Amino acid sequence: MAPILETRGLTKTYNSGGVSTPALRGIDLVVERGEFVSIMGPSGCGKSTLLYLAGLLDTPTGGSVIVTGADAGRLSDGRRTRLRREHIGFVFQRFNLLPTISAEENVALALTLRGRPVGDAPHRMLAAVGLEEKRRRLPSQLSVGEQQRVAIARALVTQPALLLADEPTGNLDSEASDRVLDLVTGFHRDLGQTVVLITHNEQVAARGSRTLRMRDGRILTQ
Amino acid sequence: MARKLRTAISVMAVGVGVALFLVLVGLTSMLHEIADRTVNVEADLLVWPASEQVLVSGGLPAEKVERDLESVADLEAMPVLRGQMKMAGRVQNVYGIRPEDWRHFRGSVIEGRALAGGDEMVVDSRLAEAGGYSVGQIIERWDRKFTIVGIVREGVAGRVFMPIDTVGECLQQKGRASFFYVRLKDLSRIAEVKTRIAEKGLNVFTKDEFYEVLASSFVDMNLVIGAVVFVAGFVCFLVILLTVYTMVIERTREIGILRGIGASRTQVFGLILAEAGLICAGGILVGFLLTWGGTALVLRLQPLWTVDIPAIRFLYAALLAAGGTLLGALHPALRAARQDPVESLRYE
Repeated sequence: MAPILETRGLTKTYNSGGVSTPALRGIDLVVERGEFVSIMGPSGCGKSTLLYLAGLLDTPTGGSVIVTGADAGRLSDGRRTRLRREHIGFVFQRFNLLPTISAEENVALALTLRGRPVGDAPHRMLAAVGLEEKRRRLPSQLSVGEQQRVAIARALVTQPALLLADEPTGNLDSEASDRVLDLVTGFHRDLGQTVVLITHNEQVAARGSRTLRMRDGRILTQ
Repeated sequence: MARKLRTAISVMAVGVGVALFLVLVGLTSMLHEIADRTVNVEADLLVWPASEQVLVSGGLPAEKVERDLESVADLEAMPVLRGQMKMAGRVQNVYGIRPEDWRHFRGSVIEGRALAGGDEMVVDSRLAEAGGYSVGQIIERWDRKFTIVGIVREGVAGRVFMPIDTVGECLQQKGRASFFYVRLKDLSRIAEVKTRIAEKGLNVFTKDEFYEVLASSFVDMNLVIGAVVFVAGFVCFLVILLTVYTMVIERTREIGILRGIGASRTQVFGLILAEAGLICAGGILVGFLLTWGGTALVLRLQPLWTVDIPAIRFLYAALLAAGGTLLGALHPALRAARQDPVESLRYE
């Protein structure tokens, strides 16, 4: 079976005001199904860029991103969106919940956008992350840890094969951080979900089965 | 709060555009109503003096022209002498007619009786209501006292009817007629009769032709309506453009989130258009309410004006607003759909 995620010679260069800034300088990466991969590295080393490219939210300058055997670079924007919807869930460092709708509606939105029936899945998912009682609250009425749990529920309600998490505990205290990581680890263990997680924290990274270390747009160790 | 206020202002602006269109179009119906009334008489032709006759004598010699007309064919000629009189605060056309011709004016008397002669007048129901006139009331005009003897249902010829002889005396035009309504006994000869009347140096029209002549004078009004339609549509376009554009910029991050959690470009595009559509729908609803209120206000201030808005015009107004909305929302919606999700997520 093809790896769930593969990158070949992946490069990304940002051009602004005539200045080119290379963010990734040729990344070769293979993530097998069911793996829990942690990515570490100093700020600005290209971790988030790699994740956005792997999540098909951004397009590379060079190289290719292959998700479940499909080369995203050869797909139209519509098909790339479909590939992302079907296989990838995203958790952001800043949660990125829509502020004007409730926690439950935020979770339901992920299903609605995929044209899937909503049913009681958002309710069950919020119960699974311990927020059943607060499901009708707006994001602003939740603590930051709770907001991140809603974001995880939103990412997982569609049952993606690949969960990409960009420093999901970066804004949380240690207790909230542990709770969020327990959730991610639990879903990985129980549902066999593939997880790629960015972190600055060695202890967090240690939850993964493998840790990649990046510097200056390159992977140093795999 | 600012978003709600902006949305409310946008809805109101679209509504004003819709109402502006509808009320002005409705007001133009007044011109058609006058034309309708003029031709809504049991007659087949209208005979008017040639313009030089009007300039020289102020009208037609009624008896002579009637004889001339009757010599052309078996027909009935009904002279009308028109004058003007201020009633209910506005100048009204007074139709001086022969009492015996009354039956052809299709006027069903709803109160009192028809004209018999002398210093009498009959007013139509609209004027009676607007001016508070009633049967038996004495009206002093043209240095004489006239008695209202009847109220007739509106919709035929003028709003004020008087015996032609009385009008002639008052206006020092006795024995003259402004124009004639003509009824033919044999309608199959209408073309021939028309030609022969025209040969006598008179202007002759069928009712349809006369209506067309009147309607052609509305061309300028149609240009005004066209300008109003353009302005109303442009207002909708600008308001929606600015509102949706601001909305897209404000929600750059939210759009990024939507893209991040699986929304396609088409979905983002659709969401923005749907939101603009809601503003438009609200605006149309407000516009219809403003039209209702505006029409009531116009009729209260000017009870003799006619504001008739056919149902189809409401559809046109809605389409106009929808068109303006679509054009206005298109560019910002496309911009939203093309936004780079990563850039959008970084947007503060």
